[in-house]
Amino acid sequence: MIELADVSKHYRTARGRVRALDGVSLSLPAGSFTVLRGASGSGKTTLLLVLGGMLQPTSGRAEVLARDLYALDGRSRARFRAEEVGFVFQMYHLVPYLDVLANVRLGARQQEPQAAAHTRELLEQLGMTERLHHRPSELSAGEKQRVAMARALASRPSLILADEPTGNLDEENTRRIVDQLAAFRDDGGTVVMVMHDDCADTYADRIVHLEAGKLAGAPSSGGES
Amino acid sequence: MNVCGLIVREIGHRWLNFGLGLVAIVTAVTLYVAFSTADEGAARETRRLMRDMGFNLRIIPRETDMVRFWSSGYADHTMPEEDVQRLAAQEGLSYAHLSATLQRRFAWQGREIVLTGIQPEVAPPGTAKTPMYTPVEPGHALVGAAVAAELELEQGDEIQLDGVPLTVERCLVDSGSLDDIRVYVHLRDAQRILGLEGRINEIRALQCLCIGQESAQDPLSELQAQLAQVLPQAKVVRMQAIADAREQQRVLMHRLSAFVLPLVVVVCLVWIGVLALLNVRERAGEIGILRALGHGAAYITALFLGRAVLMGVVGAVAGFGLGTALALWTGPRIFTVTAAALEPSAGLLLVALWAAPLFCAVAALVPTAWGVTRDPAQILREG
Repeated sequence: MIELADVSKHYRTARGRVRALDGVSLSLPAGSFTVLRGASGSGKTTLLLVLGGMLQPTSGRAEVLARDLYALDGRSRARFRAEEVGFVFQMYHLVPYLDVLANVRLGARQQEPQAAAHTRELLEQLGMTERLHHRPSELSAGEKQRVAMARALASRPSLILADEPTGNLDEENTRRIVDQLAAFRDDGGTVVMVMHDDCADTYADRIVHLEAGKLAGAPSSGGES
Repeated sequence: MNVCGLIVREIGHRWLNFGLGLVAIVTAVTLYVAFSTADEGAARETRRLMRDMGFNLRIIPRETDMVRFWSSGYADHTMPEEDVQRLAAQEGLSYAHLSATLQRRFAWQGREIVLTGIQPEVAPPGTAKTPMYTPVEPGHALVGAAVAAELELEQGDEIQLDGVPLTVERCLVDSGSLDDIRVYVHLRDAQRILGLEGRINEIRALQCLCIGQESAQDPLSELQAQLAQVLPQAKVVRMQAIADAREQQRVLMHRLSAFVLPLVVVVCLVWIGVLALLNVRERAGEIGILRALGHGAAYITALFLGRAVLMGVVGAVAGFGLGTALALWTGPRIFTVTAAALEPSAGLLLVALWAAPLFCAVAALVPTAWGVTRDPAQILREG
């Protein structure tokens, strides 16, 4: 369950105060698939980072998976991220000097005995078996994103936060990624994804529109936007 | 993957950045080791040379007035010329050069000159040494620059000193010293001119030492005691200039290294710091994703400082090897006497092994702190 209560995030810049989020209140049930929509600069990524415990809001309360995130200390929040959250970014953020296997293992819980087997299983599901020992520079954009997806899933998280994960991908790879996220939701996980196009709408349980840091209307169900 | 594994793989990936940093630390350690080894070698060489060269002595008549001796530059009394042979024949005494002189101020053509009679040098048996003085043949004279200029003398001119005919063998170049008013002649001629046949007023003995007493607690006293037995009518004055010059040279080298090494350290510190900053900047995305994956500041810090420490360890070992090799290679050309004593120093290796990693870690500290404290959300948002 995700509960945001009057969350605001303001930045001070040279050109004045920027309200990236402005009093956002939102409730997303566990096991849901939510798509965040909005123009560039509307606060989608900021909202995602707040949900992931990466960005302390200026005001308001963010309760994620029964934890009041910003009441936790930094170390507890880091542990929460390691155990409960998987991130997928448009720019992949793969470590360039590690091969596919090692990149995915970075996301796995090190103490888990089955981590290695789970990692290989994920890569197999994502069709990366032939690329285990390739470095990111040797992969296509779609393959990189699949590796990033596997890394996000490696820690068996409860929540996946995806920031335009298909922004650089072709249709086939987009479908693969969205299918994987839907499968994660179907297994009981929660997905919050920033997406511009409507290819995930058929999977989405709700679509949330942001405009200048505020919710624009009530969240709509998938396919209704 | 543990921190060490990540560090090693990152180094393999960004080998140029690591390599350039390594060059800096290897340079610093190499210079430190080479200078330190050479400095130790220089100290050893100076001690040994000063020991082996013995003492440079001026042996003058016992009754010499030392105030006048130092003001005029020579003894006002004389002693027998045979003293040179007695000294040379003395067993248990080693020397490199022995030479007797007779010097006096002498009025010639209305001017005062210093007439200096030089005896051919006595060298130790079986040795061929470069003479301490330019030898002068009987009937010839070497004329100081001021005297030659005043009297318009040239090579080949015939002159007479108190009735003794001499040929100007050479006019000396301007030395800016008392030598400019000297006229050098053979000792026999000087004795004739001054009416002091068979007399001298100084013996110069270079590198004089009692054999078997090189390592004595006070070798100078040993030498003076022995000379007192051989030449009871003489007193001995030690010329410290050469020994002092050697010591000053060594101290100068020491000061030079004391200036160069800190300069190298500062340059290398900045160099490694800048490379560390570039590395942190380049890896901003990696820092962001590691934070997103739940790794804390300590983990990130260990990644960067661990890399710096590894650079320091490799640099210490490589720099020690290079520095020692440099010292051992150049040493025999510089330290001809004690070259064999130059050897790798385990102490220097230990110093390098803790100092170089610490040095690299300090250089990387500020860039690492900057990277760790950057807002990961901002890094990830910026892509």
